[in-house]
Amino acid sequence: MSVPRGAVHAKWIVGKVIGTKMQKTAKVRVTRLVLDPYLLKFFNKRKTYFAHDPLQQCVVGDIVLLKALPERRSKHVKHELAEIVFKVGNVIDPITGKPCAGTRFLENLSDSENLTEADTTYLSEKLQELKVCSPDK
Amino acid sequence: MPMKGRFPVRRTLQYLSQGDVVFKSSVKVMTVNYNTAGELSEGARKFVFFNIPQIQYKNPWVQIMLFRNMTPSPFLRFYLDSGEQVLVDVEDKTNREITEHVKKILGKSKEMLEKEERERKKLSHPATFGPKKYHLRECMCEIEGQVPCPAFVPLPKEMRGKYKAAMKNEA
Repeated sequence: MSVPRGAVHAKWIVGKVIGTKMQKTAKVRVTRLVLDPYLLKFFNKRKTYFAHDPLQQCVVGDIVLLKALPERRSKHVKHELAEIVFKVGNVIDPITGKPCAGTRFLENLSDSENLTEADTTYLSEKLQELKVCSPDK
Repeated sequence: MPMKGRFPVRRTLQYLSQGDVVFKSSVKVMTVNYNTAGELSEGARKFVFFNIPQIQYKNPWVQIMLFRNMTPSPFLRFYLDSGEQVLVDVEDKTNREITEHVKKILGKSKEMLEKEERERKKLSHPATFGPKKYHLRECMCEIEGQVPCPAFVPLPKEMRGKYKAAMKNEA
């Protein structure tokens, strides 16, 4: 019976890097939600995986996506780094593509520096229209 | 004696099994990024509070990760088996809209679910008897209208092998 890919059950997993002391290997903690049978509530259950990171580009605290290797690389390493989802200290918001920190963007989102004269007059006219409309509401 | 917690109905099996989002087999990981404050993230918060338990109950093999206050905009991200990633923006959506959308894009359709249900039913025959794990009933005595179990109600004389053998010997 040949297994085409993945000597392990988890093919793709997302986890947080907790250690990079090993050469070209990252220690990744993966949490899954597991149902407690009595409380019927989901709790995070942790498991650590070792992932092959050839360029040693992971820092402790990164959120990474791991892909299962076709065969085990060594006794414990069965995954490799597919991509770094969120780099610690350098989170890029995937919707806008801009760097952000917490709930605020790091750079100014509005492009008011690039507006021309025509744009500003058009916008100010629109604002005037809105001012006229508001008492009617 | 009421249940503990804010909305303890979320912790009932009936509520959990009412979730109707069953992911296709290609979905491996689901990541939810949301914020704990702000009007735009309200739907995402409600989604995490009410619907994530239902989804995880129906899809025990999908890894679900929650990230709080990492980005200003809330979103969902699915990682499929082919390496594809699906990004779903949930800013300014109610939790109902989010579940409907997710069901539409990555959920198994109703026909597929019914088909799987029928396949599973085909494997087991309801009319056979045996261990509880594989059959519905263990013995004929469990059915109403049939002879009750002799462990609880002794059989009438005429049905007992002792009597029958005695009658045979006499004749």
